[in-house]
Amino acid sequence: MDLFLQRLFDGLTNGSAYALIAVALVLIFKATTLVNFAQGEQAMLGAFIVLQLWNWGVPMWIAVLAGMLISGILAAGLERTFIRRFDPADHLPLVIITLGLFLVLNAVAAIVWRYDPLAFPQLFPHGSAITIGNARLSWYSIFAFGSCILVLLLLHVLLNRTKIGLSFRAVSSNLESSRLCGIKVGPTLQFGWALAAAAGTFGASIYAANPVLQIEPSIMLRALIFSITAAALGGLDNLWGALLGGLTIGFIQSVLVQYIPFIPNEMTLTATVVVLLIVLTLRPSGFLGTKTVERV
Amino acid sequence: MASRFTFTKGTPQYRNYKTIVWALIIAIFLLIGFAFVDVGSISIGSNKYNLSLIRLNKAIAYGIAILGLQVVIGYTGQIALGQSFFFGMGAYIAAWLVADHSWPFLLTLLVVVPTCFLVGMLCGLPALRIKGLYLALLTFGLAALFPTLVKLDSLYEYTGGANGKLTGYKFKAPSWLPLDEIAQGLQAIPLLGSFFGDGPLSNREESRLWKYILFAIVAGICFWLIRNLIKSRPGRAMRAVRDNETSAAVSGINLAATKTISFGIASALGGIGGAIYVAEVGIASPDDFSSLVAIYLIVGLVVGGVGTLEGAIVGGLVYALVPDWASSTQSIAFVPERWLQGPTGSLILGIMLILLTLFMPGGIVNAFKRGTTKVIQIKDPSRLKTK
Amino acid sequence: MTDVLLKAESLTASYGQIEVLHGINFEVFDNEIAVILGANGAGKTTTIRALSGMVETTGIITFKREDISQLESDAIVRKGVAHVPQGRGTFPELTVEDNLRVGAFIRSDNEVQNDIQNCYDTYPVLFERRTQTAGSLSGGEQQMLAVSRALMSRPQLLLLDEPSLGLAPQIVEALFERFLIMNKDHGTTMLIVEQNAQLALGMADRGYVLEAGEIVLEGSAESLINDEAIIRAYLGG
Repeated sequence: MDLFLQRLFDGLTNGSAYALIAVALVLIFKATTLVNFAQGEQAMLGAFIVLQLWNWGVPMWIAVLAGMLISGILAAGLERTFIRRFDPADHLPLVIITLGLFLVLNAVAAIVWRYDPLAFPQLFPHGSAITIGNARLSWYSIFAFGSCILVLLLLHVLLNRTKIGLSFRAVSSNLESSRLCGIKVGPTLQFGWALAAAAGTFGASIYAANPVLQIEPSIMLRALIFSITAAALGGLDNLWGALLGGLTIGFIQSVLVQYIPFIPNEMTLTATVVVLLIVLTLRPSGFLGTKTVERV
Repeated sequence: MASRFTFTKGTPQYRNYKTIVWALIIAIFLLIGFAFVDVGSISIGSNKYNLSLIRLNKAIAYGIAILGLQVVIGYTGQIALGQSFFFGMGAYIAAWLVADHSWPFLLTLLVVVPTCFLVGMLCGLPALRIKGLYLALLTFGLAALFPTLVKLDSLYEYTGGANGKLTGYKFKAPSWLPLDEIAQGLQAIPLLGSFFGDGPLSNREESRLWKYILFAIVAGICFWLIRNLIKSRPGRAMRAVRDNETSAAVSGINLAATKTISFGIASALGGIGGAIYVAEVGIASPDDFSSLVAIYLIVGLVVGGVGTLEGAIVGGLVYALVPDWASSTQSIAFVPERWLQGPTGSLILGIMLILLTLFMPGGIVNAFKRGTTKVIQIKDPSRLKTK
Repeated sequence: MTDVLLKAESLTASYGQIEVLHGINFEVFDNEIAVILGANGAGKTTTIRALSGMVETTGIITFKREDISQLESDAIVRKGVAHVPQGRGTFPELTVEDNLRVGAFIRSDNEVQNDIQNCYDTYPVLFERRTQTAGSLSGGEQQMLAVSRALMSRPQLLLLDEPSLGLAPQIVEALFERFLIMNKDHGTTMLIVEQNAQLALGMADRGYVLEAGEIVLEGSAESLINDEAIIRAYLGG
């Protein structure tokens, strides 16, 4: 029982990080029906920017916020320069562009910061907060999960209570009618990309702030496939679904895979891809997504 | 727009033109083989760039895999990002057969092709239910999964786990092939002779040259088969599916069959590429078949030119040469050395991918074709020109 | 003397290589209801979309004497034109109330809530369903929502693309009665594109008939109703 609880707690941490990247993916998918394969690398780069600012003496949390802002601005620029010129209905060139960005961003991070693991600021206090028998819930886990929820709430408020949030939801719902209401679609999409990048950077920062991890350029490579699966599981166009999906993947990884003794460690990735396969072929709308999914 | 030379299909002049072009291609190909059989590299400035049969053989391997992508992405319009999966599968199957059962190279293809084809068809099944992006995600997941699968403990005896599977390929040129004589003959050419080496071919060089010729023949057969496929009814069905699925279905094309077969063919080609790759490299290791490889293959596809056969060759060369040359570039004037370390190959490929998609969507081959129509134009009288 | 609010001169529109409108001319006077009639494929929807900047055009479109031909859709809305697209064009995932808010997007005054309340007074069923998603509404309700949404921007010119399409006759009648009231009481100018000639001419001031991308007839609604050609072609005479 203790072990199960421990695994549950472990799943919370990673799950929160995956959830945030998944949220980023969902934001862009909602607005453009595009999956941004470069999302993980954008997040990783954002986390490196946070690291660099912190190394230059900026206080930890200011660095995080500044990193989120900078990565948001960069993402808005990416959207304007590379994404906007393509027909949103034609997926192939857009997928290819995001793959290209994936390569470029990864390479840039590796060239600037090299491959040696670096220490990331410890955003959250150390040690365990709660101990139940042998199961320890660390402060890190609590705060990681808590800040993930906080970000989602902020997003919710932003999208549902502000004018720009309304325009984003309108564009996601009906592009043409949005234009007919006077909404400038381009800047609205840029806003979406900026939000997504900021969420992703925060997610990567949480992930890297894990006391047992260090940051290096490949940190988000595996996380990408986990987050894509999380987003699909939750429903590619539902933000809360992304949270649900992220936590589920986190749990699956720590609980299921290690709880059942005969499945070796490497199975986390396998299990995740199997989940992806099942979701995409049997129930593409995931847990909470809208049912109108592209079918043949 | 008058071209300097105009040929009309079906006329004797056209046939002569084609024969000359092919003869030239084969001649150049053979000359390159003999020229690079012992040369390792070119030096530019203080950088040494590998240019050898090793590189070229890898280019052939990648080229065939990219040819597979041409079939499924270029001609059938399905976004398949998992070619590294089949590349790896072909490599490991071949490696296992050669290492554990001493099969010769060509025979391994007999197992690789049907296996990859069938598995490919299976993986193509989701394409029947989901489209575009969802398929891209799924195939990407498969690509990401491959190294992990191969490292599974339960498969250790077949795959060698994380250390990879060491093979012992033996390539001996058939004795009736006068490679040595040709080499010496080329060396006798005044002025250019020195490019072709010095003295008779050593055993190693001979086997290297034979590998090159063999791989190229396999590649040639693949290209020829695919070329015929494209022109046939199934090929037209594929393009119809690419252009408009609903119209295709309404015109009586079996979407399911077309898509799954297309996936199967692409995967089989990927497998052949992998088998050649491992025959060249000698060892099958998991990280040689990561999802990064899948992305690089896409780069090759796009840079070469989506929807063209020649594009696969260009793409293969780009993949085999660019990352390697990028990391060999240790110093360029004005550029701080610091920037040249790290994954510059990855950076350049990524930039190429983006720039080409933005500005030259047809890739190098289509740009080339457009450029050369000023000099040579081929007319096809059987096609009516509509606006 | 009423002013010309909207004027189209030599308006040509193409989809890619195919020319759909062949240099048509028409105008809409301030405070009037004008209709464009035509069968399927005549180019009616294209005309309306051209006015909203959604189609490639050549020619001149002037609104309040200002050339709007080159403007983007969102800029045209800001000039005072609102467009209710064919098929309603609601935001299906958004609630009824959010749909109305989006309609008021270009406004920065504080009477938006008032206007929303007015809309609810006009269409009580929308008030009932104000927290439901637009996609869950019936066709008629969606049309009410679409029109209300367009009015939220307080436009001077309302463009309506086949408002009767797919709706039951009683609903259409109620809808059109509303249009009349809007026009008479609030002075909203309307340009309606319709297949249902009888209905349209019944409430319009003037009309045009579009056939294969060309205007073949124009005049006051009365003269059109009595025109033999129209009676034969569109009124089932």
